[in-house]
Amino acid sequence: MKNYLKLVNFELNRITKLFAVLLGITFVTQIVGVIVVSRDYLNMANEKLYEEMMSKAVFLESFGQMSFLQIVKSVWFVGPIALCIAGVAFYIFIIWYRDWVGKNTFIYRLLMLPTTRLNIFYAKITNILIMTFGLVAFQLIILPIEMLVMKGMVPNEFRTDMSVKEIVNSMPELTIIIPNSVIELILYYGAGLLVVSILFTAILMERSFRWKGIFAGLIYSALAVVVLISPLLLQEFVLNGFFYPIELLVLEIVMGLIVLAASIWMSGFLLMKKITV
Amino acid sequence: MKKYWKFAAIIIVIVLSIGTFYVNSATSAKQYPEFVIQTHSGDADEIKPLVLEGSYTDTTSMNYVSTNLKITADGSTYNSRSFLDQVIGQPPTVVKELQEEYRTFMRGKDHLVDLFFENNQVLAYADVNYKMGSLRSRDFKFDISVLNKEDGNINSFTMEVPDGGELEYVFVEDVQMVKDELTLITQNTMRNNDEFYDEKHIYTINMANQKISNHKAINQVPEGQDDTRIDVQLIRTSPTKANEHLIIVKTEKKVIEDSESIREEVINQEIISYNLETKEKEKINVPELRLDENQLSFFDGSTIYFMTLEGQELVVTPYSLVDDQVGQAFSIHLFGEEDIVHGQLTIVKDGKLYLASSQMNSNINADVIVADVKTGEILFKGQLALEDSSNEHGNFELYMHEMFVN
Amino acid sequence: MIEVKAVEKKFGRKKILKGVSFTANKGEITCLIGINGVGKTTILNAIMALTPINKGQILIDGKQIDKNTFEKITFIPDAITMLPHMTIAEAMEFMNDFYTCWNQKRATELLGFFRLNPSDRIASLSKGNTAKVNLLLGLALDVDYVLMDEPFSGIDMFSREEIANVFTSHLIENRGVIITTHEIGDIEHLIDKVVLLDDGMVTKEFSAEEVRENEGKSVIDVMREVYQR
Repeated sequence: MKNYLKLVNFELNRITKLFAVLLGITFVTQIVGVIVVSRDYLNMANEKLYEEMMSKAVFLESFGQMSFLQIVKSVWFVGPIALCIAGVAFYIFIIWYRDWVGKNTFIYRLLMLPTTRLNIFYAKITNILIMTFGLVAFQLIILPIEMLVMKGMVPNEFRTDMSVKEIVNSMPELTIIIPNSVIELILYYGAGLLVVSILFTAILMERSFRWKGIFAGLIYSALAVVVLISPLLLQEFVLNGFFYPIELLVLEIVMGLIVLAASIWMSGFLLMKKITV
Repeated sequence: MKKYWKFAAIIIVIVLSIGTFYVNSATSAKQYPEFVIQTHSGDADEIKPLVLEGSYTDTTSMNYVSTNLKITADGSTYNSRSFLDQVIGQPPTVVKELQEEYRTFMRGKDHLVDLFFENNQVLAYADVNYKMGSLRSRDFKFDISVLNKEDGNINSFTMEVPDGGELEYVFVEDVQMVKDELTLITQNTMRNNDEFYDEKHIYTINMANQKISNHKAINQVPEGQDDTRIDVQLIRTSPTKANEHLIIVKTEKKVIEDSESIREEVINQEIISYNLETKEKEKINVPELRLDENQLSFFDGSTIYFMTLEGQELVVTPYSLVDDQVGQAFSIHLFGEEDIVHGQLTIVKDGKLYLASSQMNSNINADVIVADVKTGEILFKGQLALEDSSNEHGNFELYMHEMFVN
Repeated sequence: MIEVKAVEKKFGRKKILKGVSFTANKGEITCLIGINGVGKTTILNAIMALTPINKGQILIDGKQIDKNTFEKITFIPDAITMLPHMTIAEAMEFMNDFYTCWNQKRATELLGFFRLNPSDRIASLSKGNTAKVNLLLGLALDVDYVLMDEPFSGIDMFSREEIANVFTSHLIENRGVIITTHEIGDIEHLIDKVVLLDDGMVTKEFSAEEVRENEGKSVIDVMREVYQR
């Protein structure tokens, strides 16, 4: 346990720079987005009100008030989020492969630590999770700040205010990242963790058997997916809706846990018996 | 410990930020307005067994998310939109109660009340399954299950729908069971070459040998008469209640085309009572009764209550099947709004007629009325209202789509 | 005692090790000698479970390797096992963090011995100094066995001398050492046991002292005999 925490901390220190860069890009881009979108709206309002002599009431009726949703739906807001997602996805692979590359082969050190080698797996997957939650937490922190900036720029009567939750609810894409309830949060990110564990297993297969390992990894991933969706397939094509939805949910959770356990066991086996530096 | 500060800081920020978000969203859960049934006249006890189901939409904000709710004499309760509730789904109350009582039997059954039949001995279910092909639907099959309540036996089988080759779409409207015979009333869409036409069909299935003993279409357009159209409507009954008769309204219309418009004129209307046991048809004759497409008639097993809207009046004409007699007609005055009467929900139970408007918003009021069906006497008259009307609630839409009387 | 028993190893279809067996005792320096590509490094990797073997068995003090073994045996590969952006001090800190057998006193001693600056980053070190840090990190562990892979390869003469001095010092005393090298000159006089490898097999395993005393030959003489036949 202690060694696991030490490894988590060590791995975390290795990504803080990349992590800080992602946070910085997100913050700057989104703030710029708030300013740009707000200014566009204000420019349009000025044009209509003062050049076309439209009355305020008519303007508001035909163009509507500005809400933060306009910002959320712009590329300024979504772009950095997509970048962060890509960053995390990329990092799932980098977190392993960087230990093999170069002449400083850190993997020797990791594998020779007097601790179970599965701790390396746990530490790396924990880091992916921390990084992901860190980005989500950061987004939740900067959202109110961005809303304040918009409040400062757009006068009251031209603005509808929404709460963070209302904004998240209005964007289905955002509810995947920031689900509505804690249960969904656990289920969504649990599923994410499961996917990462499958990918890690596939990576370790490649690291153990190289070319053959790539195929083994692909087959393992496909098998995991089939096992995962087998209750759904059975329900749809064989059992004609035999299960009640809640039973199906429980079955899916059980299947997820089985696949997770299989991935961890397989990764442990590979790290112990099959890995090659 | 010093070297763990980044780790500790990141974890603390994550927990605080995400934790605050979920704590906030839990405590600042959206407050929905409370709806009540206001009494204008009559006895408020009359609406005690009444349950109205509908959906509420706040139209002031930009997202048109509606929330299901129930309104009773005690006020309104909103269905939680929590994740688990969404997973479980919200089947109609009747189906939900059946699921609770007959969990095994109800597995894999659709949530449509019309597909079920229940009496003291059996709970029956019938549906039609088919495959959607690229060109047309095929493999029409009845999916039938009957639960014997006494011994718990389930008789479940599938069988091919006769003449399935011509079918395009089948929709089960009612299921009845008399003795050992299951009767399905379906709305079939048929395809003949490239022409589509609808028909109502009755299938009678013998449960003992699992064979179709009889089937026939109720309406058939006489050949060579392209300008006539026959509409067939089933008079509503309590969804799961056993009936010995089906009451069918058959309306023959002539399509009149002139230079300006196409309109339809009713040339003949027949009301037929079909005895499920004897398979006999009997014509019901109610003089001067014209039921249009928006009729609200209801059949409670022994008496048919023909109901039509005439302006702001709901005209009720009872007809007793027992003695084949037309009863005393009466009419109920609805509030409506500027002579527009919106959709109504009606149910007759235990000699009382329950009526509720199906729509309400800040401009439209919704009636709730209970009347004695024998005398036409109004026992209760009231309206749906916001409990706290002094509060600003903004714009909203309330749609009631189901009414139950316990 | 480290026992390597009939170890076979294939890379793809090519058999690199065809049944290698030898032992290495505590308190002795065992030298694996063979031309490049003969599989010396593979044997060391296999002992540390850094690469799987196809057949055979490797025992350390009679037991198969597990996580606790890494407090008893350490491996110094020919490349450094720390991250380039770390300083020497940070690398030492890392070792201290994870190994209970880390001997901080000896590590400081080694720092002085090799004249290394602990605040230097690993990436900025010369080849010789990198090898010294690598050696330091392995030798500062209080372990019974040390495996070294080519500690002298590609290193300047002065660094080589310094490293060779390690082998005569108390740092090596009482430990079992397995060393692979093809430049035997620097340490020939220190070797206790020689394992000659060729074509994936042990061609000769002998005690250097015996050969010296009984046959009057040096290890290099024996190598010549074997390889130039």
